[in-house]
Amino acid sequence: MLNLETGLERSVRTVRKQNFFKQKDTVGWLVMLPTLILFAFFVWEPLLESIRLSMYTAKGVRLQEFVGFDNYIALFKHPDFLAAFKNTFTYILWSLLLGFPIPIIMAVLISETVHLKGFFRIGVYFPNMVPGMATVFIWRFFFTPGNTGVLNILLSKLGISNQIWLNDPKLTIPLIILTMTWKNAGSTALIYMAGISNISGDLYEAATIDGAGIWQRIRYIVLPSIFSLGKTLLILQVIAVFQVLYEPLVMTNGGPNNASISLMQLVYNYAFRDYKYPMGAALSVLICVVLVILSGIYTKLTKEKSKGGRGRDV
Amino acid sequence: MFEKYETKKEGVIRGYDVHSFYVKCLIIVILIICILMAAACLFPALWVFLASFKDIKEFKTNVTIFPSHFDFKVFLKTWNELKFLNYYLNSLILVAGSTVCAVIFNGLIAYGLGVLKPKGYKAVQGLVMWSLLIPATTSMVALFVNINRVGLNRSFVPLWLAYGANAFFVVLFKQFFESMPSDLFEAAKLDGCGVLHVFFLILLPLSKPIIMVVTIFAINASWSDFLLPYLVLNGSGKETVMITLFKFRNANTPFVDVLRAVFYSIIPPAILFMLFQKQITGGAVMGAIKE
Repeated sequence: MLNLETGLERSVRTVRKQNFFKQKDTVGWLVMLPTLILFAFFVWEPLLESIRLSMYTAKGVRLQEFVGFDNYIALFKHPDFLAAFKNTFTYILWSLLLGFPIPIIMAVLISETVHLKGFFRIGVYFPNMVPGMATVFIWRFFFTPGNTGVLNILLSKLGISNQIWLNDPKLTIPLIILTMTWKNAGSTALIYMAGISNISGDLYEAATIDGAGIWQRIRYIVLPSIFSLGKTLLILQVIAVFQVLYEPLVMTNGGPNNASISLMQLVYNYAFRDYKYPMGAALSVLICVVLVILSGIYTKLTKEKSKGGRGRDV
Repeated sequence: MFEKYETKKEGVIRGYDVHSFYVKCLIIVILIICILMAAACLFPALWVFLASFKDIKEFKTNVTIFPSHFDFKVFLKTWNELKFLNYYLNSLILVAGSTVCAVIFNGLIAYGLGVLKPKGYKAVQGLVMWSLLIPATTSMVALFVNINRVGLNRSFVPLWLAYGANAFFVVLFKQFFESMPSDLFEAAKLDGCGVLHVFFLILLPLSKPIIMVVTIFAINASWSDFLLPYLVLNGSGKETVMITLFKFRNANTPFVDVLRAVFYSIIPPAILFMLFQKQITGGAVMGAIKE
């Protein structure tokens, strides 16, 4: 067909192709425009608006007068801020101790199964489908102190006396992290499993010939191969923990005695309980700055990974 | 049971390891741990279902996991008492609009970024990627104030449109479009197809799998969505299931009614998951493999 193409046809095609490219720019932007407006309204403008809002006093949603950094200073002086700030680090610490290793262990174990593997994949992912609001209610029932709490019922079968769970200020945050881990570990484990299944069998065989046992193969082959993946997932996890809101709001209401109040919950209290929008905005800006820094680290990590020639092999 | 391990394709334990007694024990231990893990993941939701059969007295006095009798009428009774049909319908309106917006708007911008690439698209791409990392909750205060200013509070419209600006969905679409063979578009260009022709005649029919994934994720996300719907819709008579659930946190609603409400809120995602396990677990991994 192409061989029979006349000069005229060819030039018609060239013109059309040029048209396409001219069209491509204008139509390209036209196609993206509606979504860009939505992104501007729902994502980008609110970020800038937060900064502006945080420097004014307001009556309801109406701005009153410019006060500079007064809202920030008031924020720092408030005892709740210090509590929430400290708690955030405790949240992160416990998510490093529980939320980070558990999905890795799950992924390594499930990768070693042959029977029921599909069931395990689906089973561990299921909590991710349970709505966040439902999750915190379920776990509130589990952590109910006294003998109607589900965990206390289970423990009493083992002869252990009733625990007070969330009412113990030392246990509140670890238990909240446990709830979050229950919900999210399965989906993270699936990502690690995808990474593990990409490891070439030759590596294991070569290691076996060199005399490596099963634990050594995990230590020297599996863990290094998912290391870069782990770094990025860790940052994403820290970003998620920074915004923990439903759990303290519903399970403990920040208590006992501010032991579990989170930064996002403080934003919620300021803006949507006390209607002090500028204060809420000021705290949002602070959280956002931290998250931007963390995201910067994340982007740098993912770039390094692709430079290493590993590309999409996560 | 060990024969299947001989042909095992992935993981540390290889087919040739299986002959050792130690490895056989290890395999069994791993299998048991995995069963326990799956049980730990499934039990809480199952417990909600079982405990919902109890009445208040039984819930308080009879400290067991299993209810003494199964009577499905109690579910219907609470459903009617709490007027859950109403909340379900509101959630349905929210989900339908959000899903349509999620597919259309994110699909369109991804077509621009992944296929057309008009001059200067890189700037937009950078902004979208950043929005992926800056979570929506941090700009919630300002967004809520803005929605109030334009007078869209107490309406579904801002909630629907918010799903049209979802960086995660954009990435999913974009990855899919970029993985399509570029010959396809070249051929279409040579045949003088217009940009919109390419979109509707080539891209859209071939994009069914990714539209499916985004649809499922959008349905689940908007069903579970709480904060923005709560702020915008609370007190408007358009409360969704999640908003209703949240209001139970301090109210004097009997425990068993709260439990049943939790159960109602899990049913739709559970059904969705049963129907589309493959797409959902596949999509979860796909989203993580970025750029």
